[in-house]
Amino acid sequence: MKKNLLNKYSLFAQDTFVQPQSKMIGIKKAASNPILHYIIFGVIIMVVLYMAVQLKVLPYSWYGGIIYTAAYSISSIGFCLLMGYSGLASLGTGGFIGIGCYAVYYVTALSGLPFIVSVIAAIVIAAVIGVIVGFISLRIESIYLVILTLGLSEILRNIYMSLSDSINIGTIKIFGSALKTADVMYVIIPVLIIIMIITHNIIVSPTGRAMLAMKNSTAAAQAMGISLLKYRLMAFIICTIYAAISGSMLILRSGAATASSGTSFYALITSLNILAAVIIGGYKSIWGAVFGTFVMYGLNSTILQSIPFFTENPALITIISGVLVIVVVMFYPGGLAQLLQNLKFTFAKWKKKIREDKYGKDIG
Amino acid sequence: MAKILANILPSPANKLALKRKELHWIVSELDSLEEVTSKREQEEIAKIKFSLNKRLNKAAFDACDKNEYVQELIYNKLLSYDVKNYMNHRALNHGLIKKIFKAKRENKPIDALIAEHDKKYDELKIKRAKYVDKLEQEKQRFLAKYTTTSSQDYENLKKELMLEFEQKADGIKKELAAKMQKTRAQLEQKAAKVKEEMAELKKQVPDAATLPDDVLLQVKGLKMYFGGLKAVDDLTFDVKKGEIFGLIGPNGAGKTTVFNCITRFYNATGGDMYFENRQGEVVDLRSFKVHDVILQGISRTFQNVELVKEISVLDNLLVACTREYRSGFWAHLIGLPMVKKEENILKLKAMRILKFMGIEAYANWYAMGLPYGILKKVEIARALMLDSRLIIMDEPAAGLNDTETADLAQTIKRIRDEFNATILLVEHDMKLVMGICDTVCAISFGQMLAIGTPQEVQANQAVQQAYLGAMEE
Amino acid sequence: MGYFLDTLIDSSMPMCVTALVTMAITLIFKTSFTTNFAQGVISAFGAYVASTLFAKMGMPVFVAVPISVIASMTIAVLVDVVLFRKGRYVNAIGKQIITMGLISVIVSVIPLIFTDLSYQAINFISGNFTFYVGDYNVTFSKNALVGIIITVIVLVLLFVLLRYSKWGLSVRATASNEYVAGMMGVNTHVVTAVSWGIAGALGALAACLNSAGNAEIGVYFMTEYQVTAFLAGIVGGFATFHGPVIIALCIPLMTNLISWFGNGVISSITGDMQLGASIANWSTTIIYVIALIIIFFKPNGLFGKKVEKKV
Repeated sequence: MKKNLLNKYSLFAQDTFVQPQSKMIGIKKAASNPILHYIIFGVIIMVVLYMAVQLKVLPYSWYGGIIYTAAYSISSIGFCLLMGYSGLASLGTGGFIGIGCYAVYYVTALSGLPFIVSVIAAIVIAAVIGVIVGFISLRIESIYLVILTLGLSEILRNIYMSLSDSINIGTIKIFGSALKTADVMYVIIPVLIIIMIITHNIIVSPTGRAMLAMKNSTAAAQAMGISLLKYRLMAFIICTIYAAISGSMLILRSGAATASSGTSFYALITSLNILAAVIIGGYKSIWGAVFGTFVMYGLNSTILQSIPFFTENPALITIISGVLVIVVVMFYPGGLAQLLQNLKFTFAKWKKKIREDKYGKDIG
Repeated sequence: MAKILANILPSPANKLALKRKELHWIVSELDSLEEVTSKREQEEIAKIKFSLNKRLNKAAFDACDKNEYVQELIYNKLLSYDVKNYMNHRALNHGLIKKIFKAKRENKPIDALIAEHDKKYDELKIKRAKYVDKLEQEKQRFLAKYTTTSSQDYENLKKELMLEFEQKADGIKKELAAKMQKTRAQLEQKAAKVKEEMAELKKQVPDAATLPDDVLLQVKGLKMYFGGLKAVDDLTFDVKKGEIFGLIGPNGAGKTTVFNCITRFYNATGGDMYFENRQGEVVDLRSFKVHDVILQGISRTFQNVELVKEISVLDNLLVACTREYRSGFWAHLIGLPMVKKEENILKLKAMRILKFMGIEAYANWYAMGLPYGILKKVEIARALMLDSRLIIMDEPAAGLNDTETADLAQTIKRIRDEFNATILLVEHDMKLVMGICDTVCAISFGQMLAIGTPQEVQANQAVQQAYLGAMEE
Repeated sequence: MGYFLDTLIDSSMPMCVTALVTMAITLIFKTSFTTNFAQGVISAFGAYVASTLFAKMGMPVFVAVPISVIASMTIAVLVDVVLFRKGRYVNAIGKQIITMGLISVIVSVIPLIFTDLSYQAINFISGNFTFYVGDYNVTFSKNALVGIIITVIVLVLLFVLLRYSKWGLSVRATASNEYVAGMMGVNTHVVTAVSWGIAGALGALAACLNSAGNAEIGVYFMTEYQVTAFLAGIVGGFATFHGPVIIALCIPLMTNLISWFGNGVISSITGDMQLGASIANWSTTIIYVIALIIIFFKPNGLFGKKVEKKV
């Protein structure tokens, strides 16, 4: 029975008032909630990891690749907030990651306090360092700030080397039971998802808008009552805290690290990789940051290694990731997030073209 | 930050600032109360209408003229079929044209193509005829199935439901009105309480100076030196309440420097600036940081449009309200519903202002691709968001054409009248300045040349000299 | 005294290397407005070329080094001409990222080209000068002497060119405003490309010197100097050419002096070898902290000028 047929007989003509949303639209609206997307994403990742570790459907190397991606992603998201929203840049990520590693080592592995205490300790120390860098950022800008944070990171690395060059956390206990390597995902993935949701909230809130205003024009932002000091400090504190959390997660997975080695978590190469990840993914998108990190840290052990050609020539993997970085920067400054958008646009254009070809040009 | 500071250092001035914020929200909530209520009422009534319609549906079907009903049903079905069929025809025709062109290029006969097309065309025709037949059969079946019409039930039910609707709608209206009254009373009570507390606190915070009743901003002996360069030297003027005050002068006269001193972008070398803020207290502007000036009730626009390009026009307006939120960083981080509520109130206000500026159609557009004239308007709208007493406009007509400038003049006057704002502007377009300003102040090399009505200033010899160059005696 | 003299002589080679790398970084920063993160690996590539020609094919060192210089130069020019200029939307930070991407490419390409090369360092002249100060045996390697001579000649030549030649004028014009320089008839493309070439050449030279001085070679062996050069650049202020180079000379010297102060002075006064050694360990950190403090109070560098911002 069609409703509009009865319009003449109904109590009120149905086009005179806004019809309440039907149930179907309600579900659609709930499904478009971005926070739900993050949660679904987390569940999917968990399932994939479960398949790799417990069911052994997927190769075991996927586990390491995805876990490292997840842990580094936390840093990338913080960096995304710093660069894409506050317009600041830093190359200190490596040093900040070390805070988390050493906090876990000293507080949990040596002193035997619970893991959560070490994470809180890492957050506190990171906040202090964030305040320092934030104050510096008021005086120094752009490329100078980048090099300065690089120097700070080197200082931190020197401190780590003097404290204890190589650390080994052994087995960590969480909720009274020892954490096996295969169970690390139950800690890292939820933390990543929470970080993603929190960051999303910040981005869409007045705080995120204030940061964007500050990035766009400091003068206009100040005239609108936005304190540069407050928001720069905030951006740096968030970035360093995220990096420290990411460090705690990384050490949880790897178990050991050596500060003096050129490829350790706190080396310059980590900072550069995180920067590259954010650029590749698109520096204004959380999904982009995660995806960029996957390209830098996860692509190798998940997909490329299962292709025989690359297993025979491992050097090509690094070359390809380098070339990818260069090509993305040269042709897609908005990163892969922009590429995706371009693809959507191209798809729509093709669709229109096909229609025009079939029905004639004036179809619109 | 302000909250934490106020808690650590509970000085009367800080307490006053917090109270001010509270009062501002109460007033905003009061402003938007009616709008929110009417929106809610519409929604509720729509819900009732929908459910009542649903209840009537069955009786209505029994009562309706079945012939008419089935006629309409079939008409609709045929219409949707024809829409599809139209596309098929188009595809057929377009295909034929393409084939003919191809054949002509290759010098092939086209008769066969036309014949094929005609065949396909006939096929489509036959198909449609078959569909019409099918619908006719359906109609017959329907009429055979439903033969009776009984309108008795329907009429009774309709009356009953209509009555019910009126009752319910009245109930809802009354309920909402009562609720609104209650909230209003509560808010007014709160406002009165806050005002009382503020009055108490105000006694502890003496005014920085006393200003004449009709003066809003007093600039006394303002000096701004950059090294040896005297950009502004001993400038004194008063801006009266509710006037449009124009600052003119040749390039490099120091007009923008004066603005930057008032809005604290530059720390003036010497001189005093007193301002009667939103709460009617006289404050010394030199005691504020640059990002605190806006809270006193001074907002400004820029020479070049300084909007955030990556967010929508509406969001750009909300940026101006960053300091107004009561929810702090942690509330934003968790995404509390309180943030949404505050944002909704502000959005209503922003929409009102956009409507006032005549650009509400662009509310959800990104600021990036909009034309310059619109962006200028958005910037003025942003300055209006905070109910500022003094709006400082830095060359509002720069880059606009003649029509837009004339429009701008009207807008500035309307802002003055409807927002009770005083306007201080720097402008090179003399037609605009002389047309709308109540008082004009001409400066050159940081020093005052003349002040007065536009006519007086125009007639002044020193001003003419400054603009046209010194005359040879 | 002998130990002090030894420290000074020991720091001569790092000073030369850092000064050359800093000059290269500054030149690129002034013409391309970006920091070249790939400077270290481009230099390392040059060192590998020299090492192959010298140690494996037995060419004389004064033939091998110029060839390596040309190799590095070519790569550097290609970076500018192919990558920077062909990119559609490349800005300063984009250029930085490109050089970072280049790191991973060159780092993986080097082992592919130079397959069996394990630590065969370059050697200009073997042998040492040895003399006694008191009873302390001071050694001064002939390599260091060659290094100092080459560095002084190259730097003096460059400064003279920058100050008095037409190319130097174009570089300075491009550095002050690329767009305006282009309008005034300076071919900024050529200026940038030549600057990149010189930077690559300086890098290769520095890498060869480093290899000879420390008897080592590796893919990342120039990275440390590169980081120091960045720091020297901002402490000295990128506004001038001499500022960064002066600071670059100071940093290795200061680092070694702090170690000398720890190991030599503190240890002999307190008799506590542990304390002295630990001070020596912290020398790099102390230098960095000093540098950061200087930058905090003089954001434009020691030799830079303050620029007033207009609102």
